[in-house]
Amino acid sequence: MRGADFGPEERAEHSLEAPLSIHDLTVAYQRKPVLWDVDLEIPEGRLAGVVGPNGAGKSTLLKACLDLVPRASGEVMVYGRPYRAERQRVSYVPQRESVDWDFPVTVLDVVAMGTYAELGWLRPVNRRMRERAMEALEKVRLGDLADRQISELSGGQQQRTFLARALAQKADIYLMDEPFAAVDAATERAIVEILKDLRNAGKTCLVVHHDLSTVTQYFDHVVLLNMRVVAAGATADCFTEENLRRTYGGQLTVFAEAANALRKGVR
Amino acid sequence: MGTGAVLPEMRVRRQTRFAAVGLFLLLTGTGVLIALEENLLKVFLLRNYNTRLVVLSTTLLGISSGMVGSFLLLRRRSLMGDALSHATLPGIALAFMGLVALGGVGKELGWLLGGAALSGLLGVVAVTLICRLPRMKEDTAMGIVLSVFYGAGVALLGLIQEMPGAGAAGLETFIYGKTASLVGSDFQILWLITGGVVLVSAAFYKEFKILCFDEAFAASTGWPVRRLDLLLLGLVTAVTVAGLQAVGLILIIALLVIPPAAARMWTSRLYRMLILSGLIGGMSGWIGATLSALLSKLPAGAVIVLVASGFFLFSLFLGTERGILVRLLRHLSLKRRVERQNLLRAFYEVLEQRAGGRSPEAFVSWQELLARRSWSPRLLYRIARRALEAELIEEMDRSGLLLSPEGLAAAAKVTRNHRLWELYLIEHADIAPNHVDRDADFVEHVLGERLTRHLEQSLPDILRTGAPAVPGSPHGL
Amino acid sequence: MEMRAGRGEVWRRLMRGAMVLVMLGTCGAWGREGPEILGTVGMVTDLAREVTGEAGAVRGLIGEGVDPHLYKPTRKDLVRLRQADIILYNGLKLEGRLADILEEMGRNGRSVRALSEAVLAGGRYRGKGGEEGTDPHLWMDVGAWRLALKEVVTFLGEADRERADRYRENGRAYTEELDRLDGYAREVLGSIPEEHRILVTAHDAFGYFGRAYGLEVRGIQGLSTESEAGLRDLEELLSEIVERGIPAIFVESSVSDKNVRALVEGARSKGHDLEIGGTLYSDAMGPAGTYRGTYFGMLDHNITTIARALGGRAPEGGIDGKLVEQGN
Repeated sequence: MRGADFGPEERAEHSLEAPLSIHDLTVAYQRKPVLWDVDLEIPEGRLAGVVGPNGAGKSTLLKACLDLVPRASGEVMVYGRPYRAERQRVSYVPQRESVDWDFPVTVLDVVAMGTYAELGWLRPVNRRMRERAMEALEKVRLGDLADRQISELSGGQQQRTFLARALAQKADIYLMDEPFAAVDAATERAIVEILKDLRNAGKTCLVVHHDLSTVTQYFDHVVLLNMRVVAAGATADCFTEENLRRTYGGQLTVFAEAANALRKGVR
Repeated sequence: MGTGAVLPEMRVRRQTRFAAVGLFLLLTGTGVLIALEENLLKVFLLRNYNTRLVVLSTTLLGISSGMVGSFLLLRRRSLMGDALSHATLPGIALAFMGLVALGGVGKELGWLLGGAALSGLLGVVAVTLICRLPRMKEDTAMGIVLSVFYGAGVALLGLIQEMPGAGAAGLETFIYGKTASLVGSDFQILWLITGGVVLVSAAFYKEFKILCFDEAFAASTGWPVRRLDLLLLGLVTAVTVAGLQAVGLILIIALLVIPPAAARMWTSRLYRMLILSGLIGGMSGWIGATLSALLSKLPAGAVIVLVASGFFLFSLFLGTERGILVRLLRHLSLKRRVERQNLLRAFYEVLEQRAGGRSPEAFVSWQELLARRSWSPRLLYRIARRALEAELIEEMDRSGLLLSPEGLAAAAKVTRNHRLWELYLIEHADIAPNHVDRDADFVEHVLGERLTRHLEQSLPDILRTGAPAVPGSPHGL
Repeated sequence: MEMRAGRGEVWRRLMRGAMVLVMLGTCGAWGREGPEILGTVGMVTDLAREVTGEAGAVRGLIGEGVDPHLYKPTRKDLVRLRQADIILYNGLKLEGRLADILEEMGRNGRSVRALSEAVLAGGRYRGKGGEEGTDPHLWMDVGAWRLALKEVVTFLGEADRERADRYRENGRAYTEELDRLDGYAREVLGSIPEEHRILVTAHDAFGYFGRAYGLEVRGIQGLSTESEAGLRDLEELLSEIVERGIPAIFVESSVSDKNVRALVEGARSKGHDLEIGGTLYSDAMGPAGTYRGTYFGMLDHNITTIARALGGRAPEGGIDGKLVEQGN
């Protein structure tokens, strides 16, 4: 799989109302800025990867979009309207480690959580929603594990469960925090499949990614982040050695890795 | 890796589970029967007014605290319940002082409980606010709130004892409770609160579930997590306030924490845990109060907590989901399984080397097997004995062992799975081939058939089509 | 200029005023003749006051309406204990934690006296169940309290020889009063019908009282108010009340009334119309400055209330008609 597989890149075709646009976003934890003046626009139907060194604010970027951390300034627009008004069109896949996998629920229970918002207050999960959850679970190829307790899952299966939960939400934008972190190859491939399916269905994904060597394979859009947006745009244009150097700066080993990856990708 | 997934046969069936709970109840019942007396029937039929009040109150309290406590436990906020219950004391004292200052008697229950609820919630808010300060962890905040509020309460009680004209007597009973002396008005407040708590926790089941499991995701889908949190803590406050009269603010925390912790040992489904926790809490209340009604000089409040602790100890050891015994059994079973597979594989490899895998004579000497792996003769003998019992081995004597046809088939299958996995790792996971063996040993035993089949499909060019044949080992044996 | 006084000036004036007030307050105590006497509970303080009359400054430590069993000494109390010349207390663990401090002071040569010691030394009074030194509620028996009075007279006389005569005279007059009270108690409590002579109260404070005046006594809790009643104990007491047709049980001013209310409700559920006979003063006296705020008035109140509620004949106003005058 290569970036070119995804079809021609046309940067000029931005619709007036991009699925996700971020303006002047600044986030600070106790006076220490984590994100600084981020301006970002993700065009429709893209698989966008967010890369950057540790502590660059990648996860924070997602959380700030979702109102999970307080913003010092800035606004997040979803299809041209404020995030709060269009919340149900955005889906979030948190980091796997963020929850307790010993929690007494089944895999299907977790996936069904994606439908809670649509159900609304006090209404229990109904058959329609359970079917929808099951469908999502089948998509990530975990259908036969639906009734398992979640602690019985492997890391990759946990990740796919989270993905299924997001799918069950039937959103238009997917924000994923390190879905490829510490998963087995089968899961990685399954996730890539799903991302492609999503893109083909006109959905937009913003994925925090840590593995530079696969960026060109997986994503057609890339955001290089280190507190500020160093570069953002089509992978072919932006994922350059120059930009990587600017993003990773002094972290020589990482940079070496990145450069290496780049050479591989170009090859 | 989930051990439960590997060992479906180890999952004790639900009937067994209920039988275990039933057995315990029966034992407790017998214990009570030993103390059999003429008023046994009276107590069990709740003929006496006071016994009826107390038993019903403590049972209701146990049910509601067990249910709310489950959410609290899963939200990892059990200590918050502790902080909250201690934080009620200054509220009681201040309400009392206010009533006296306004010329009242000071002992009007409704006002005192209102004060308790208010200052309990204030304590919770204080915890949340302190948490927002830099470098403040939640447990620190709860520690601060617990000690400061409780200290303030004790100090206020000290002030009250010097106030003229006030019948201060009785405020101390909120600390330890006075279960036996519950009156009708207490019961009314209690069943209203506990009934409400049970209803609300059932109604907000879905909301609390998502809140407790994944707060960030809940927030991202638009659930007001702060308000839900407040609602949950509000329920805890309500239970605490209801329990002040019955068991006091020190022991109520036991009813909030122990039943859910015990219930968790038996199940991995939230709704079952809720029901079971409510049951255990209710049973603790019922048994404790009944014991106090049957035997003299037993204060009910303390007995209730002791009974709950008994439930917990029982569940800790015998719980069918996470009990110590079950875990030991699971571990033992996994160990035996691994040992047996190692034996079979060693067997197969010996045969394979000897005659290219097509030897009809499936007899192997002890020495050949011992040379395969680093196991002691005694261990090998024990493993072989178990394999003999499982009819994988047909015969064994001083010289060696003879594999049965089933054993041969099993050995072939085990070896095949193992090799497949090794191949998979080498092909896809960029692991150096000489590092594969140990990893493969490990995962193979955890994989199960489904995934192995999946692996087979992912390696079509290596597997010969047709009967499940064993591919050659990719590294030198 | 006056208007423009700075904040510091105002503050200084306030402080000066406060200091004057404090000095006036302490002078009041110093101004009296005689030693400063501190009593722990109201009954002891009252006894000391009767003995000294005008001749001494007597103060009480534990306020009224306070359960002395649960009393926790505050810092201020410790200061007052240190300042007092003579300290009188009941003993037998009535004062709870305070007792340890008082015993320690006694060992250090301070004038500290436990009245119970003198009463028990006479040999006539023993603790509940014949076990010596367990029931501290000696004042409930007027006869026993007379012994305590004698002890106070002697002790104060020794500590303050100058006024020993006056103490003796006051003591003699008060003894006569106590004798009169004792006689009244025997008369009115004796008029209670035989089968109703049972006194049920929140805790076991009335042991001496019952023995002295021929009443069977039942406390719902034990001797100290700290213990919790078991459910079975409560039920047993209840069935006895119902079986014997006891008309009334009593609340105590310094103990939670919950147990008593639970009994009343329980009895009503069994069709027995049990009344709360009234509030008795057991470990603490009534409000200071009132008739019930004295030992004499407190006993009068208890005796009259019990006699009337259990079906005996007693004047509504008590021995001197003072109970009615002040209202309830």
